[in-house]
Amino acid sequence: MKRSLGAVSVAILVVFGALSLAGTAQSKPWWMRGVDSNQTDFLPPDVAFRVGAQVDGNVVKVRWVIADGYYLYRSKIEVRAESPDLVVAAPQLPPGVLKTDPYLGTQRIYTQQVEAVVPYSRLDAGAHPLQIKVIYQGCAEAGLCYPPITKVLFPAAGPPAGVASEPPYPFESTAIIAGAGAFLLAGLVLRKGRKLDTPA
Amino acid sequence: MNNPGLRYLGAALIVLVGVWAGLKFHSVRSGEGPVVAVPAGMASAPDPRENSAGDEVPHPVVPAHLPDFSLDDLSGKPTSISSWRGKSLVINFWATWCAPCRREIPLLKTLAADWAGRDLTVVGIAVDHADKVREFAGEFKIDYPVLIGEEDALEAAAKFGMDSPALPFTVFTDRRGEVVALFVGELHRPQADFILSEVQNLNQERIALPEARRAIADGLEAMAEKKAG
Repeated sequence: MKRSLGAVSVAILVVFGALSLAGTAQSKPWWMRGVDSNQTDFLPPDVAFRVGAQVDGNVVKVRWVIADGYYLYRSKIEVRAESPDLVVAAPQLPPGVLKTDPYLGTQRIYTQQVEAVVPYSRLDAGAHPLQIKVIYQGCAEAGLCYPPITKVLFPAAGPPAGVASEPPYPFESTAIIAGAGAFLLAGLVLRKGRKLDTPA
Repeated sequence: MNNPGLRYLGAALIVLVGVWAGLKFHSVRSGEGPVVAVPAGMASAPDPRENSAGDEVPHPVVPAHLPDFSLDDLSGKPTSISSWRGKSLVINFWATWCAPCRREIPLLKTLAADWAGRDLTVVGIAVDHADKVREFAGEFKIDYPVLIGEEDALEAAAKFGMDSPALPFTVFTDRRGEVVALFVGELHRPQADFILSEVQNLNQERIALPEARRAIADGLEAMAEKKAG
């Protein structure tokens, strides 16, 4: 039985009920309602907000995929350099939509998905693995907020997801061919002036 | 290049260049970090140093009895949760940056007033910076006790099984300190009244603890279904 989040009560009750014995504790995933229920009212934060990053030319694209009924605050999104040689500019974010809460005022939020474009430069031409730190914070429409989440990401090389992928190392095939060619050339140089050592 | 020595030298140089090129490309490749398969919709791999909490289901343990912890109150005085021993508690974990938490404050004030004199106390636990909480508590005229903490408040939340707390969540105990219910998300009046009526039944020994817990689970489930239906 599945219901949409918005239609469900905001409650998740962790109840010990008949299964509980005096002095014992009940182990239960916290977002499950009730002892015998598989009903999910809230998602764990890493499922509600999935994040990934990809290098695309001289920018890093950080993309969040946001579950239905959840949102991220625009003002709470930060991207920082994590590897020592990396310098990142402020993330370029779409405007988002306005959400007005009588108790928190008007904020810009994102639903479904959002991509931050982060221009970067590297001081050591790639001696260190490229690492960024992303910080973001969001809530469920049904009445639950997650504390700010911090993650270190290794942005993968290549075009952003959804674009036909190219080999992540474009020079790899060139290197293989060049290496094979070098050995062939070396063989030819050694071969020059020699006769085939064939049986008479 | 008829000199065989020169030929060998030339060949060796070419091979060395080939080996050098191979090593160079290898180092560029390994410098890009691990290549890890990513789920659909994801643009890159997660940091392999982190636990991929992702879809894994953690199993926090909600205690049967109220755990002990101590936090500063609004005036900065360390206060133990056992200060209210002998009373039923509504312990509300919240933060000033959390919209549903702010929306709950009027309800919590009403509950505190309605249940005053009936051995029930509302205690707010702000997982937040003290100055922000004091400012907010003044602005919203919070008149029930509020304890404040950052790391130590997170530790208190963890004692209720909420290791990576989402806010708000509210713990209900009876007067003996038994944890009767833990309610995650924004609390509304019907749910609060219902849980407190069962706490009252428990305190007056009209029902036993397992029955009260079961009644609350079933009652809230029914309310959710009614709302959804």
